Amino acid sequence: MTAPFATTSGATATTSTPAASPGSMAEFDATTSRWGRLTMLAGLVFSLAGPLYLVFFADLGVTATALFTAFAAVAGTFFVIWIIEPITYFPILGPASMYQAFMIGNISNKLLPSALIAQARIDARPGTHRGGLAAVMAICGAAFVHLLSLLVFVGILGTWLISVIPESVTDVVRVYVLPAVLGAVIIQAIVSLKQVRATAVAAVVAALVQFVLVPLVPALGMAATAISVIVTLVIGWYVRKREPFEPTTTEGETHP
Amino acid sequence: MIAAASVAAAQAADPSSDPNAVLALANMPVLWICALGVFLVIAIQSVIYMMAARKAAPAAGLSQQELKTTFRTGAIAAIGPSLAVVLVAVALLALFGTPATLVRIGLIGSVQYETAAASIAAGTVGAELGGPSYDQQAFAIMFFAMSLGGAMWMLSTLILTPLLKKGEHRMAKVNPALMTVVPAAALLGAFLSLGFAEVPKSSVHVITLAASALVMGACLLLARLPGMRWLREWGLGIAILLGLAAAYLAQAAGFAPAA
Repeated sequence: MTAPFATTSGATATTSTPAASPGSMAEFDATTSRWGRLTMLAGLVFSLAGPLYLVFFADLGVTATALFTAFAAVAGTFFVIWIIEPITYFPILGPASMYQAFMIGNISNKLLPSALIAQARIDARPGTHRGGLAAVMAICGAAFVHLLSLLVFVGILGTWLISVIPESVTDVVRVYVLPAVLGAVIIQAIVSLKQVRATAVAAVVAALVQFVLVPLVPALGMAATAISVIVTLVIGWYVRKREPFEPTTTEGETHP
Repeated sequence: MIAAASVAAAQAADPSSDPNAVLALANMPVLWICALGVFLVIAIQSVIYMMAARKAAPAAGLSQQELKTTFRTGAIAAIGPSLAVVLVAVALLALFGTPATLVRIGLIGSVQYETAAASIAAGTVGAELGGPSYDQQAFAIMFFAMSLGGAMWMLSTLILTPLLKKGEHRMAKVNPALMTVVPAAALLGAFLSLGFAEVPKSSVHVITLAASALVMGACLLLARLPGMRWLREWGLGIAILLGLAAAYLAQAAGFAPAA
């Protein structure tokens, strides 16, 4: 609280303010990183409390080995994304909004558009303090709408809808919703990522793993997706654009 | 096929794999309370952030009127995308129950990662999501693995954000190819592998997968037309619904026995 100079007015506030004087951007940074972290930790605890309750108190006979295996298979598939996604979004979101975005979810399809539209609305540029505050307020607004629509339309109306839909329909939904999601998600990923070589590598590797490797060695079934991801990563990196094409390293893998 | 059918029949006889038993577990009051806890935490966080923003607004050159405008603009811009997420979430209620759907699909995660994680986790215990082997135990293991996986995103945000804040300029110099090629390869490898894993299950699974992919492709193409940009958000929900409609018709047409 012993700031040598207070930046209380004008758009010229700088990040070099050494301590958090009241009403300064430094104070805003301090408040949002402290409370952002605390609330995110609280969200993390609540999100794990449900499944932990089922595992420990619902008497379902779940073993630690089964839990570890299931988590390891998920981790083998997504560990790269866990690290890269926060790094990717940091320059766009800024530190304060990071703690909002990764708890509210649906970042690219909802939070980023909201923040960008709000910044444009008041002519604030991303990367400035004005832009940063505009993004935070826009994400708060988006969070408000999102929480409300989820509670009303999914929590209340959706639960009611499931109870009145004929069982023959919910049966079909339950059994086939996974391929219905995956078909669309695959096309969405291919179109939005725009990585032709990675797409080709992934298609060949995933087909080999699922249609050749798994039928031959059924025990590998539970690691199939993690294997596909890691092999695609390695080959995809070697055949990426801007690198001279090296037929010797890839020919054997991609053309069996 | 006969062996598989008899295994399925044996598992169907297990009372805990009755779909209603799984849903009863998935909709337990304790899980509702935990889900509402996440809602409450996000609401509290938003209020704290808005109070901090109001205080810092003069220093950043923002009027109180502009604060209100940005909040309202963000809220209005989120209506369409939020309803698109609602549509997808409702389609998953029969599989995950309401509390898990609200937290995993609606909040923290997204439908892409969470259904992928669920399918991978269920596979490790030999269960097929929504199939006869999808019992209470499989649900608990799957819910645990997808939640812990989602927690890793939050954990890495908690660890990386302070580091990135310190070294903002250094991180900007990371090889850009690393940041685009690696996540693209990982995501494409994961989703294509999971998609192909659906193919051997039955011809109805193949029809559903193909129908959903075709509808999504059509939506993304149409979204390039002027005035049709909304299809980029709604495409996923529309493709899932029409994919399920194709599954319903294919099953009714006798392509596969009811699971």
